[in-house]
Order: sequence, then structure tokens, then C-alpha cells
Amino acid sequence: MKAKIGVYVCECGPNIGQTIDIPKVLESIPKLEGYEDIELVPKSFGLLCSPDGKEHLKKEITENGYTHLVIAACSPRDHDATFMNVCKEAGLNPYLYKIINIREHCGWIIHDKDAATDKAIQYIRSGISRVLYQSELFERQLEITPDVLVIGGGVAGIEAALSLACEDRKVYLAEKTGELGGKAARFSSLLPRQSQGADIIKQKIEAVEANENILVFLNTELESSIGFLGNFEVVLDCDGDEEKTDLKVGAIIVATGYRMSDPGGQSGYEYTDADEVYTSLEIERMNAGGGIALRSGDKPGSVALIHCVGRQEKGYCSRICCNYMMKIGGYFKGHSEATQVTEFFFDMCLPHKADQQFFDKSVGLGIDFKRVKTIGLSGTSVEFTEIGGEQQEMNFDMVVLASAMEPPEGTEALAALLEIDLDERGFFKEAHQTTDPVATSIDGIFVVGASQGPRDVSDSMLLAQAAAGRIRSQLIPGGKIVPEVKVSEILEAYCTGCRTCLEVCGYGAIYFDDQKGISVVNEAVCRGCGNCFGSCPSGALRTKHFTNRQLFREVTEALK
Amino acid sequence: MSDPEKQGAGLEAADGIKSAVRDFLRKALENSAADAVLVPVRTPAEDSYAWILTNDPNLLEKASPAAPTMPVQGAKALKSLTRKGEGTARVIAVMRPCEIRAAMELFKLNQVHLDNITLISYDCVGAVPLQDYVGDPAGSEERFDSMLEARKTDAAAVKPVCRICVDFSLVDSDVHIGLMGLAGESALLVPNSEKGQALLDTMGIACEADVSGWMQAVSELKAEREGNRSEALSATGAGLQGLDGLSATFADCIGCHNCQSVCPICYCRQCYFDSEAARQDPAALLDTAIARGGMAFPGNKVMFHTGRMAHMSLSCVSCGQCTDACPVSIPVADIFSYMARLTQATFEYVAGRNDGEPLPLRQFKEDEVEKVHEIVKGAEEEEAAHE
Repeated sequence: MKAKIGVYVCECGPNIGQTIDIPKVLESIPKLEGYEDIELVPKSFGLLCSPDGKEHLKKEITENGYTHLVIAACSPRDHDATFMNVCKEAGLNPYLYKIINIREHCGWIIHDKDAATDKAIQYIRSGISRVLYQSELFERQLEITPDVLVIGGGVAGIEAALSLACEDRKVYLAEKTGELGGKAARFSSLLPRQSQGADIIKQKIEAVEANENILVFLNTELESSIGFLGNFEVVLDCDGDEEKTDLKVGAIIVATGYRMSDPGGQSGYEYTDADEVYTSLEIERMNAGGGIALRSGDKPGSVALIHCVGRQEKGYCSRICCNYMMKIGGYFKGHSEATQVTEFFFDMCLPHKADQQFFDKSVGLGIDFKRVKTIGLSGTSVEFTEIGGEQQEMNFDMVVLASAMEPPEGTEALAALLEIDLDERGFFKEAHQTTDPVATSIDGIFVVGASQGPRDVSDSMLLAQAAAGRIRSQLIPGGKIVPEVKVSEILEAYCTGCRTCLEVCGYGAIYFDDQKGISVVNEAVCRGCGNCFGSCPSGALRTKHFTNRQLFREVTEALK
Repeated sequence: MSDPEKQGAGLEAADGIKSAVRDFLRKALENSAADAVLVPVRTPAEDSYAWILTNDPNLLEKASPAAPTMPVQGAKALKSLTRKGEGTARVIAVMRPCEIRAAMELFKLNQVHLDNITLISYDCVGAVPLQDYVGDPAGSEERFDSMLEARKTDAAAVKPVCRICVDFSLVDSDVHIGLMGLAGESALLVPNSEKGQALLDTMGIACEADVSGWMQAVSELKAEREGNRSEALSATGAGLQGLDGLSATFADCIGCHNCQSVCPICYCRQCYFDSEAARQDPAALLDTAIARGGMAFPGNKVMFHTGRMAHMSLSCVSCGQCTDACPVSIPVADIFSYMARLTQATFEYVAGRNDGEPLPLRQFKEDEVEKVHEIVKGAEEEEAAHE
């Protein structure tokens, strides 16, 4: 069949209409050398991405019976998906279409209209050349398991489990220790309304235990995990059980929390176990137990609360300390207004809307806040320099340290097991800190709570609910998923089994078939990044829609 | 590598080194320290050598653990033995240092398995070019034997790459046989791994001999060769600059791809350049011809060689098989050694140094891009200097 290619130039309002000589482009296309055997149909339209434009394009494709389609318009980041959908609706395989960016690459950057027009023609020519070598690709649908594994039974894990469990979705909640609740269960109150922490967590734990769609595994760690979104196979190692538990889940939520760094390990903080120096968690426990007191049993007359311990060494703010240190300041003032409470900080962190009010209230209680640029501790004696002030020393009855939150032990091993990334601070890395904050580099694995960095309880809830929302929309019980179509494939006859591709794949999408002695791409996991294609020494790898031939033709024409 | 704690065991070589190694191998088989040996044996027509896997003492008698020439690179023989996995038999393979280095590269690429292989290397005086050997087997044997006897390389008798080889001695083998700097009737057995030590222990060989004299002789020769190597490779590089230099260098290439088929590192099942994927459409070929003003057919002549450089130069061990196999006498090994020196320096990598050094292709390091820029800049300056 003779190829018939529709070539549509979008005016994009003045963006292309005024920067490129569209009539000249349309005139030049049928005269292109080397395409005499092909029917080229050049046309233009005002705004192809508008509802009218899409409708027009759909009609044109159907009526003209194009075999291929080239659209010269904006960046594929803007409207590649838009036009692929139009192709689908019009019955043209969307992989037989190509968008050419003549707006950002020509019109916007070249001020000479003639030069911009020439370049646009050259680009369109390369697009026509490429599209002729493109092949039809077809989407596939895969069955999914809607069930979810949550690793970590702290507030984030519990919240995720409660948000997800329902009649047709089981949640497996695996906790490393012997009880649910994590660190927050030990707080005597939760910010900002000072509600009883243990009580709230207790209610949540009861809700988990009462929910027959949540299966709790205590003293349990993840042993292995393979698979992809909708189809993970995991093995849990429950301490005490001889048999390992094999589960099939559609998604995994990592909610392994944090640990407090050891302030004794920080330079500049010199004290021994005999000194009246405590960490914030120790004070929380004291307060939740018999009340805060010195070793002698007396109440302290003066207390230093030091924020930002380890902040400089770690290179990040732990976000929660300012608030909870003010809360702890409140404990002391609550016991006795006469207690002299001094809080030392480098920078004040008040991220939530109620925090300012809380700070003002703390000042109102008579807590003295000192912003310092240096601080050191020797026993319960604090040496500090205030901003704009001289170095001085103050003695206290008791010192409380807010040490930095850090990734708990086993984080690296878990990351390696799940093949997800850690950030430079050692926490789990989000797919995108700002725009994709709970996903990871592996589809179907999510990181929530303090496992991805310093988070307070409310943030942890938020992230847990966000991940639950993502999973609920991606893994609809009884539904199917459509994996990436432009994936890599391995030509069996060429693969030498050197496994270079396994090491460069960032998605765990390639496995080794021991029997055949070759690598195999798991098409459901592959994202089509092309790392393997680029690194295969034997030329055995090919990424669909980005084959050597397609790229070669496109580049040759663009450089002609 | 130059471990001051190293000790060796004396190896009597009154009847020549080959005979001493044969005795050692026979003893290893008798003591059940190995199930078989992989060694070069002279072919019946006495005009070449072949790799033989054997446990037959009579056949072993014909073996030449240090063969004058290397028709098949030892790593290739080892690959054909172990490509499909670990064998059950414990095999001792006696090979040149460059063959063992190639085997290390193939090991990293999962092309050979070494768990049941004990590698024995020896101080290599060089290999006689294959064509010289085939042309005059008797004379070549004589020349090689006298080099071995003198423990000294005769530059006129060996391959060009052997004259400038700096890795002629201890490599990542299990047992090394030291020859340099020792008198004609003695040699040293140097254990170089736990496996090698275990082999000597099983055979009741105690390592009490001093190795310092041998090590000194090796390092002196190495230092001398380093200078020669830099000089020779720079001279080779001078003729390779730019597309014109490459085109002129490979102008005589007949496209037989012998260099690729004998290369131990070229391990692809099917070379891209022999595959259907490398064939271009007539339209594309015409485009190229018009753009260049003319084009030779079959095409891909320079592309084949530069493609092979890109693919294997990081693992090239300068064994010289490619030059041996070239029917039109292109100094392929010199050219590839020049490239290999540049690419391996870029990644601070030495091909075949040991079995644990990760292949650069599998490592991502942020500073590598800058290093490549530096090297490109250096190469440009070098090119400018040549002009």
C-alpha cells in the first residue's frame, strides 16, 4: 500500500503563525526530494489542541485514510499524549504518528523568520522520514492484585492500612517490633491541640485490630520482593514462625519511620550518663510515666532546651523539633510557672498554620527563646553566642536535647531489597520531592512518613493517605493495568548473557534466565528509558519506538 | 601485586622450563590435585599448536606449556570449555599473562567460569607471529627455545605488541612461574591465591625460596618497557588522528573480520557489523555517498574498526591476536593498544588486572564526564601538535 502521510502544521495562535512562514512550509512539503513514492498531504490549522482542532484532526484522519501522521506543533511534553489519543479515536495506531516541535525549537528561538522556516521544514522532513520507519505498537492489559503490603506499623503505616483496607482489598501490615504504634504511641500529647497521643494511637490500633481486612504481622521483616505494580510477590519472615509467609500484593508502602540520632555522638556536646542531660524522647517517656524530675526526685528549677542538635552535621532541619520542644517547654511550665525555661535554636521552624499561635503562646508562658549562632554543652552548662551578642555561659539543673531524626537501621538493606533509591541523607527517595512526593522510582512502591525524611505526625498521616489514594486509583479491584508500550526487548539470538543490562537497569525490569543463559525484559516493569539499549555490548537490546533505524533516519534527515 | 611477603618454591629446570612444567603437571594429576590440564600441544604436522584438555600422561608428554606461538588465545579456549557453566572437573590451565588477563575480562562478563579452574601463568618472553611460525616452524622453535633459555625477549622474533608488553609477568593467576633474572636451570613457583597455595600444599611443595631477585629483574624490565610502550603507542597514535588518519590506516582492510573473530574479548554471539541491522537502505547509502562526494563498498570499513574499539577497547589486553590474523598486515593490535591505553586511563581501569575490578561500563561516576572532556581536549591538542 502506498504510504499517505498527513502533515499538519499548527499555528498555535501567534506562536507559530507569526514566527514561521506556514504557506512556505506547506508549499515545500510535496516537493521534498526522495519522497516521490509517498503521498504527502500538507495542511495547517489554527489550534490543533483545542476541542475544535482535535475534532477536525480526527475527521481528517478518518476521511483521508492516512497511513501515517506528522504534526508540526509544540513540544511533545505539551501535546504528544493529546494527539496520540486523537489518533486512537480516529482508528490510526498512535505509534504511526510523530509530533515535531517547531515552536520551541524553531519559532521561539530563531528571530529571523526565513531561517526559522527553513529549520522547521528540515525538522518536518526528518519527522516524515522517521514516521515511515515506525511500527504499530499495541497496548496490553494485565490482571492485578488490589492487596497491599505496608512495611512498618507506626502512625504512617497504620493510617495507610486503615485508608486502604476494604471488602475487596486486604492489607498486610508488617511490623518489625512486637507492637504497633511506633514512636508516636509513646508521646504523651500530640500537636497542635495537645490531644492525648497514646490515646489516639490506641484508638487507631484498635481500629486496625478490629478490621478483618487488615492482617497484622508482628516481629516481621520483608525477606524478598519481586514483581511490579499490580503483581508483586513478597516473602515475609515472621520471627518465631518456621514457615515463611508468601504473599501476592499489588503495591508496597514503606513506612519504616526514623530514629533519633545519638546526641552524645555530636561534637560540642560533652556530657556523661550521670549528668542531667536527656533527649526529647526520654522526657516524653518521663512525662507519660511518673512525671519529669531530676535523679534526686526534685523538680528542676531551670531547664535548657536545645534545638537543632546535629543539624549542621546532618545538613537538614528535622522539622518537628521546634514544635515539640515548645511542647516540652509547656510541660515544665505546666508543672511550675516558676521553672526557668530557656530554648536555644539556630533557626525557628514553624511550618503549619497553627504553629505561630503556638509559638506566641509559648512566649506568653514566659519561655525564653534565644537564637544562637554557636552552642556547646559541658555537662549541664551551656556555652552559646546569641546573634549579635557575645559568647556567654549559663548553668541549668537540666538540659533537654532535640537531636536530629535519621534513617533507622536496616534502611539501606530494605532499599536494596526493593531496588528503590535513597537520597543523599540516607532516607528513602521520593520520585519527585515536590510533584510526586509518595511514589518511588519503582511503580507500585510508595514511601510515606518519616521514612522519606523528617516528618511530624500530621505530615505522616497526610503522606499515608496520599499513598493510599494513589493505590486506590491505580489498583481498582477487578481492574487491569496498561503497562508502558515503548519497552525494551532482547533479541535472544544476540544476547551473550554478560548481564551488563541487569546492572544498568534502574527499574529492576531485567532478569536473567539461567536455563537459556540470557537476559529477559519484564515488559510490565520496563519504562523504556533505553539504558540497557545503550549499554548492551552485543546489540541484543532494542527499545521499541526508538530503534536504531528510526533514530538513524530521523537524525540523517535533520542533518542533511 | 609486588607483595614483599611473597615467597616461592624452587622449580628444577635442568632439562628446560617446558619439561619442568610438564613434570609439575604430571605430578599434580598423580596427586589428584587436578582432574585434567588444559595446555597447548603441538599439532601432528608440527606446524602449529592446539589447546588440549587431557589427563593422559602420554599426551601430556607432547604438551608445550610455553608454546612459541598462539594460534588460539587461551581465554578463548577457556571460554569454550566453561561458557555454559562451572564444570565438575578441576582443571589446571597454563597460559600466558595476556591470556589470563583476557580470561579475567571474560569472567567479569560471565563468559568464563573459574571456580574449578586453576590458572598458571609464567614470565612470558613473547610469542612468535603466527605467519612466521607457520612459514618456518623449526627455526621458530629454535629461536623461541633460546629466548626461553636466556629468559630474554628477542625483539626481532616476537610480535610487535610483545616487544612493548609491560604485563609479561605476575598477573591474577593462582600460581605463577617466575623465570626472569634466574639462571637457565632454575625457576620459581609462586603461589598467588588461596587456590594456588592449596595446590602447592596438596603437592607437598613448600615455599621457602627467596623471590626478591626475580621481582627485581621483573620490575627493571617493566620500567624499561613502560618507556618503550609510551613511545611506540604515541607513534602509532600519530597516524590515527582524525577521520582521514583512520581512513588511511584501514584503507587496505578487506573486511574479512578475522581480527574480530580471533579477539578473545569480542564475545558477542553475532557481531553487529555482520548482522542484518548493519545493512543500510540504498537511499541512506546514496545520501552518504552524495554527502561525502563518494563512498567505498562494502561500507562500514572504518566504522567496523571504530565500532569494535568502542565496544572492546576497555577490555583490550594487547595480546596481538588481531595483528596475527590480519591477511593484509594492518597493525591492528598496535592501533587497538593505543586506543585501549586512552580509554582505560579515562576510567582508571586496567583490563584483566584482577577478577574483582568492576567494568567501567557498569559503573556510574559523576566525574567521568569531566575526565572525558579533558581527554578529548588532550587528544585535540596532540592532533594540533601533529599538524
